[in-house]
Amino acid sequence: MRFTIKQATSGSERIGTFTGFIKSPGAVIETPTSALFTQGGSVTHITSEVLSKIFTTPKLLWVPLSNSYQLETGLKAQGQGIAKFAGLSGHVTSITPHSASEVTPVGHFEHGKVPLWTKNGKKMITADSYMDLMEVFQPDIILAIADSRTSLGEGYKRILKSVDRTCGFLEKCVDRYKGSKTLQTSSLIGVIVAAGVPSKCDECITHILKYKDSLGGVALAGLTDGTEESLKLVNDKIEGIFARVNTKLPKNLLRIVEGCWNPAVVLSAIENGFDVFDGSYPLKLSNVGHALALNFDLNQNDSEPCILDLNDERYKEDFRPVLAGCECLACKKHTRAYIRHLLNTREMLSSVLLSIHNLHHFDQFFKHARHHIASNTFKLYKQHITKQYEAYKQPLTNGVNEHKGKTALPQVTKKLKVSDEEMHCS
Amino acid sequence: MNVTPKALLFHLNAECNTTRARAGIMKLPHYDVKTPVFMPVGTQGTMKGLLPDQLESLDCEIILGNTYHLGNRPGTEVLRKAGGLHNFMGWNRALLTDSGGFQMVSLLKLAEITEEGVKFRSPYDDSEIMLTPEKSIEIQNCIGADIIMQLDDVVQTTFQDYDRIKEATERTSRWLDRCLSAHNRPLEQSIFPIVQGLLDKELREKSARDHLTKDVNGFAIGGLSGGEAKDDFWPMVRLGTGILDKNKPRYLMGVGLAIDLVVCVALGIDMFDCVFPTRTARFGCALVPKGQLNLKQKQYQTDLNPIDENCPCSTCKTYTRAYLHSIVTVETVACHLISIHNIAYQMQLMRSMRENIENQTFPQFVQEFVNAYYPDANYPDWVINSLSSVGINIVKP
Repeated sequence: MRFTIKQATSGSERIGTFTGFIKSPGAVIETPTSALFTQGGSVTHITSEVLSKIFTTPKLLWVPLSNSYQLETGLKAQGQGIAKFAGLSGHVTSITPHSASEVTPVGHFEHGKVPLWTKNGKKMITADSYMDLMEVFQPDIILAIADSRTSLGEGYKRILKSVDRTCGFLEKCVDRYKGSKTLQTSSLIGVIVAAGVPSKCDECITHILKYKDSLGGVALAGLTDGTEESLKLVNDKIEGIFARVNTKLPKNLLRIVEGCWNPAVVLSAIENGFDVFDGSYPLKLSNVGHALALNFDLNQNDSEPCILDLNDERYKEDFRPVLAGCECLACKKHTRAYIRHLLNTREMLSSVLLSIHNLHHFDQFFKHARHHIASNTFKLYKQHITKQYEAYKQPLTNGVNEHKGKTALPQVTKKLKVSDEEMHCS
Repeated sequence: MNVTPKALLFHLNAECNTTRARAGIMKLPHYDVKTPVFMPVGTQGTMKGLLPDQLESLDCEIILGNTYHLGNRPGTEVLRKAGGLHNFMGWNRALLTDSGGFQMVSLLKLAEITEEGVKFRSPYDDSEIMLTPEKSIEIQNCIGADIIMQLDDVVQTTFQDYDRIKEATERTSRWLDRCLSAHNRPLEQSIFPIVQGLLDKELREKSARDHLTKDVNGFAIGGLSGGEAKDDFWPMVRLGTGILDKNKPRYLMGVGLAIDLVVCVALGIDMFDCVFPTRTARFGCALVPKGQLNLKQKQYQTDLNPIDENCPCSTCKTYTRAYLHSIVTVETVACHLISIHNIAYQMQLMRSMRENIENQTFPQFVQEFVNAYYPDANYPDWVINSLSSVGINIVKP
């Protein structure tokens, strides 16, 4: 994998490309960008056929091992890696042990191991077993295993352990990476933890940079422990962390941020030189029936909220598309009233249509960010978007708005219920 | 010749020389539907996670909506303002709605049926609601499907009380008259009467003959596929198709298993609906020529074949059984992928039947189909008997 910074501005924000993926040679990923969040190897709610209707170019896929662990046996039999197995050949895959947005039990650490919460329960993973799995999954990008499930308010002792364990893991991962022909077709990413404790975070960064030559980039983790928390974090606090980490990192390294961050936080990260996001935010919105409707036109101050809660009764007879002028498949063909009906009747198509819109719109959000970096107007864009997000006074909180059966991401309803009316046929 | 435009024109392209099977085209206001046809069920104005575009690519020409559900949510007001269900769900091809009566009786324990209609408590707000034949048609006029169904008096298929069955059958005929006179959009929508009478030969014959006298564009056969023995089922279908007007389409309600489709096409049925293909998909069951694969089974864990190597659907072109095995019943995507395949399977089966009827090779097709469907050549009696009643003598290979 090759990461090239195409253009940097007077600030730290930059546009770049990453290319040269051995598994998907044609793919060019422009940054800043968001990956597409996957579950069980598929973009959540979206089949490969539908994905090709949303995007015509290769995309970066975010594959948490915790929700795709069960693919191992099939992958071994097939031997061609996760993208091919999940019907997404040509796309670029990035594997992380677990999604920063997952809600998981705390603790359960053992010496040299972290717990992976899979659909079949807890699996204890060591650096070795993780890299064994990577030889089977064969992603384009591997995030090193880390003990990153800590929040900014975490106790110091826990942070010490987290850094310690993470450093140990990285050594082992680099070792395995260097020693394996298969793994060398992927890029390894070092994971920064302890974001909330400057001295420990620096220690972690220094340690990672020792392996710089073997790494394709770094990922910032250890900011949150689950989605709800990430949605509540205020921008000031997190902005300070992005700024600090920015000064500690060499410019040419690809930088990833894990977590479910709203557009305002994303833009702060971009401003501080971050390049890639994990894509859990648009999924989170889709799962609770929300549609992202940012106004990208700097000359237009729209009073419409930038997030629509389509569960709301007010959309019952609203036959307009989610967002006027939006070119996505859902907006071109369907209405707010229809999506509201699908949410109201808990029909699966609601998640499909909302995903189509939110994935498309979030992608546009990054496209506009790149455009504004290129034309040196990023500051204005950031202000314009941040203002809209702040005007939208109801950030997703504590899950009150979520429907039953659609709890926090990324768990889908465990049992796909058959509705009563379907007893029609023997 | 009819001079006024009709909401349904049925033209038979071919009739099988051996069986009662026929292939035709049913011209409806929104689409020309090739028969025999299988109609997937999109209960609440959506087909289990599939986009209307995907249904079109699958060659679906007509799909079903449920009046009872749609009348409740989104409700007639919304549907009226949207300009009907076609507009509301973004589906430009043909639609059929049921009358709502079946759901009331099957879903609601408290339903009480009187001459006026079906009285029940709303599961949404517990209020008392009366669904009359007039009300059912009013809702269906508002939904705007190409084909709509009369409200019938439904009794459980396995019900034994003769007097009640007789009452229900006769009431269904009376309700038909009320439905027809309440119908406000006869130039855009066709009401199909429903032949009732459960498993009673005389009642069914009477029901069919009553309906024959009415000015309608097609007929449905109801009250079957509700748990009765197959030996009881097929003679009722055969009885119906023997009486009903050859020049009008015949719709067998609630039937969709592959073997049932093949037998009933041979008996002269033109239209079918069933939730089975999409429902079974959610449990990880994929339809194949020899029946079903339950993709949850461990044997598929490392199986790198597609569901069916001869299937041209997007699922079979892209995904292996092993991959599907690892996500079935966990990810919504699995459900979409198997639904796509299962609908493709049903569509392919109907297409093959139409072609074979047109080429006068239908009896050979049936023989090949049952050979594949029962690889051990263990043909059930009802299959042998029903097919032999229309001139196909199944032989063991």
